[in-house]
Amino acid sequence: MSHPIEMAGISKAFGGSVALRDVSLALTPGTVHALMGENGAGKSTLMKILAGVHQPDSGEIRRAGRTVSFANPRAALEAGISTVFQELSLLPNMTIAENMFLGREPLGRFGGIGRRRMREETKGALARLGLTLDPDTLVSDLSIAERQFVEIAHGIDADADVFILDEPTAALNAADVDVLNRHIRALREAGKAIVYISHRMDEIFAICDVVTVLKDGQLVGTRPLTEMTPASLIAMMVGRELEALFPERGEGEGAAALAVSGLRLHADSKPFSFTVKKGEIVGFAGLEGQGQQKALRALVGQFSPAEGTVSRRGNTIRLPVPEESGVRRWQALGGAFVPEDRKDEGLFLDHSVGQNIVAALHAARPALKAAKRYSAVIAETMRRLNIKASGQSATVGALSGGNQQKVLLGRYLATDADLLLIEEPTRGVDVGAKAEIYRILRDFAKAGGAVLVLSRETLELIGLCDRLYVIHGNTIVSEMRAQEATEHGILDAALSA
Amino acid sequence: MISSSSTFGKLLTGRGSRQGLWFLPFLIALAMALWLAATTSQFGQWSNLANLVAQGMPLLITAVGQMFVVLVGGLDLSIGSVVSFTTAVLALDLPVTVTIPGVFLLAGLIGATNGYCVTRLNVHPIVATLSMQYVVLGITRVLRPVSGGSVPDSVRWLVEGSLFGLPLPVFWGIVTLLVAWKLLYGSRYGLHLSAIGGGVASGSNDAARNFGIPANRNILLAYVICSLFAALAGVFLAGRIVSGDPNVGLLMELDAITAVAIGGTQLSGGVGSLHGTVIGVAVLALLSNGMNLLNITPFVQTAIKGVLLMAVVALQSRKKIGL
Repeated sequence: MSHPIEMAGISKAFGGSVALRDVSLALTPGTVHALMGENGAGKSTLMKILAGVHQPDSGEIRRAGRTVSFANPRAALEAGISTVFQELSLLPNMTIAENMFLGREPLGRFGGIGRRRMREETKGALARLGLTLDPDTLVSDLSIAERQFVEIAHGIDADADVFILDEPTAALNAADVDVLNRHIRALREAGKAIVYISHRMDEIFAICDVVTVLKDGQLVGTRPLTEMTPASLIAMMVGRELEALFPERGEGEGAAALAVSGLRLHADSKPFSFTVKKGEIVGFAGLEGQGQQKALRALVGQFSPAEGTVSRRGNTIRLPVPEESGVRRWQALGGAFVPEDRKDEGLFLDHSVGQNIVAALHAARPALKAAKRYSAVIAETMRRLNIKASGQSATVGALSGGNQQKVLLGRYLATDADLLLIEEPTRGVDVGAKAEIYRILRDFAKAGGAVLVLSRETLELIGLCDRLYVIHGNTIVSEMRAQEATEHGILDAALSA
Repeated sequence: MISSSSTFGKLLTGRGSRQGLWFLPFLIALAMALWLAATTSQFGQWSNLANLVAQGMPLLITAVGQMFVVLVGGLDLSIGSVVSFTTAVLALDLPVTVTIPGVFLLAGLIGATNGYCVTRLNVHPIVATLSMQYVVLGITRVLRPVSGGSVPDSVRWLVEGSLFGLPLPVFWGIVTLLVAWKLLYGSRYGLHLSAIGGGVASGSNDAARNFGIPANRNILLAYVICSLFAALAGVFLAGRIVSGDPNVGLLMELDAITAVAIGGTQLSGGVGSLHGTVIGVAVLALLSNGMNLLNITPFVQTAIKGVLLMAVVALQSRKKIGL
């Protein structure tokens, strides 16, 4: 069978740093092709070249045997290559129909826009995906999943036979992931070639046929997934086995660093209590969106529960605490809160690594005192956490996901905090950086700190934590030692509650 | 029942559409007109209404032009100077066959320069057009340091005459709105302006470019259109004051921005409507007309304008359009 798209010997450098070196990739109709590698391995760059966002320095793209080049994403789409990027590219202030036809609007009467045709074709394309959205709905009124489906419909409507999905599930909940997977399978059955980028193993094995692994901008290999196991795939990506990912567990038998009692998230939900001891990493597990995040955020005022009491360092705090001052009061008691969305909620992306690290130190001092420079603290934090940046003044937004996450962690480790609340510690982070972050958290606990963590990745919770609380229906339904926990056991505890 | 109330809710908040919050200002304008009609005897008179249209026309024309720039997330502060400049040129001792084409040509050039500075030299729109405001104002004052000269009768007739029993300013308004409507809604250009503005407002300047839209060219054209409308307003004003005046356009750019903002166009770009801008102009024109009828000092009027602007804009949540 011929390949609809072949990329041969692609190289690309940005400034001085080489992003891709002599990478080749061939796609087959009717297959889902996983593209894997650590962050910075060159996956996104390779796909952006295929999508016309970047042009390769050398190498060629062959479309059905003929050499082509794409000057911009529009040219790639016209050649039948549709992309759903990590950062969504739809315009929020335009309707679905307008987005579908933007840049290629049909002309109507008197030189105007053929809106009726746009509407009808859009409706048809959405219907082929089984969607009943109104074409006149603004994209800003759609959920993230719906936006991705619209992008896929966009590709279908443009008659694309190559679909690139760059971390499509990073922002989706479980139900939407199922729907997305159904669409991907439908595309595969329709004979399309699909490239699928994701960091989530379970997804890769659930829907992909072939996997290509990149490392440091170079091709490691392409294999059928039937020959692979998660462990061997990770080994291929990092040259290291899964077990090595998680550090040894600790003792975790100190005094309570945090005790929460009688927490009722909603007026009609069941109250529950939990504790985190010094030297211990405790996780909130269970199905997504069952109240894990609410329970954690209630402690810092980012969620307002019906009632509850927190004991911390001899102080008793009655919940709810005000949203305005919640985090500040938490920090004053030696706590830290690392939010899930580091880009929107955590980091100052335009500021330097140094400024981001010392933000919490500055916040603890009186507002009118002259700011200290803290260069030694920054240097020590960067060294301890192995933050790879060109220097203290490097812009955080330009770093890889793993390094950004380490900067965010560093902000709180640089303070004297001894209790860390952390959401999704490794979201959008590559395997190598994951291992480092796990080690950092474990070291923190070993030094007498306490960690409360929540994550969508159950395997991560099992590997990282000492103790797990399973949360379901806005209350704790089970408590288990992480060492003995399994994915199946957690699901069972959640669903049989 | 539910659907009608939610449609009304959408209308009130401006949600679910790209037109912004125009309905509330519409109610304000309507209430002002009804109140003036009820409390003063002169308001409803034919002569006052004609006067209202003629007084509001320069604002309408400049605000419509300003809206193009605001839609792509920009601002044009130079249009007041362009208005003054136009009156100064028309009051030169030259035939209108030279001055009118000349003034539009120069205005187009001014707009193109603004657009070039913003798109290619990456100067912030406020800085680029503020510089242009000074440059054009300086040249205007060289041409005509104080008001004077005379404008040809033909231009004067275009403003003071009437056609089919209607005063000519009405037709200026109709032509302005038709041209703007065609550009904004009856062409791909207008859609592309919204797309560019939507990208800018949601923090990705390349979003529209990725769809194959030539963003820089379209933005530059928006500044040209804005400047051309300003020159048109200048011709209108020249016909009204019948002389050249270097100060006649002073602060007109701020009034235009005020009208655009009151009409629900978001200054971050991507959201707004032509009828909203007309409503914004109507609110300001009614305010000024009503205060005159009620014999209230213009200084109070200025203060009320400020309060109104703050109140209406504060009611629009800036994060309304996604992201």
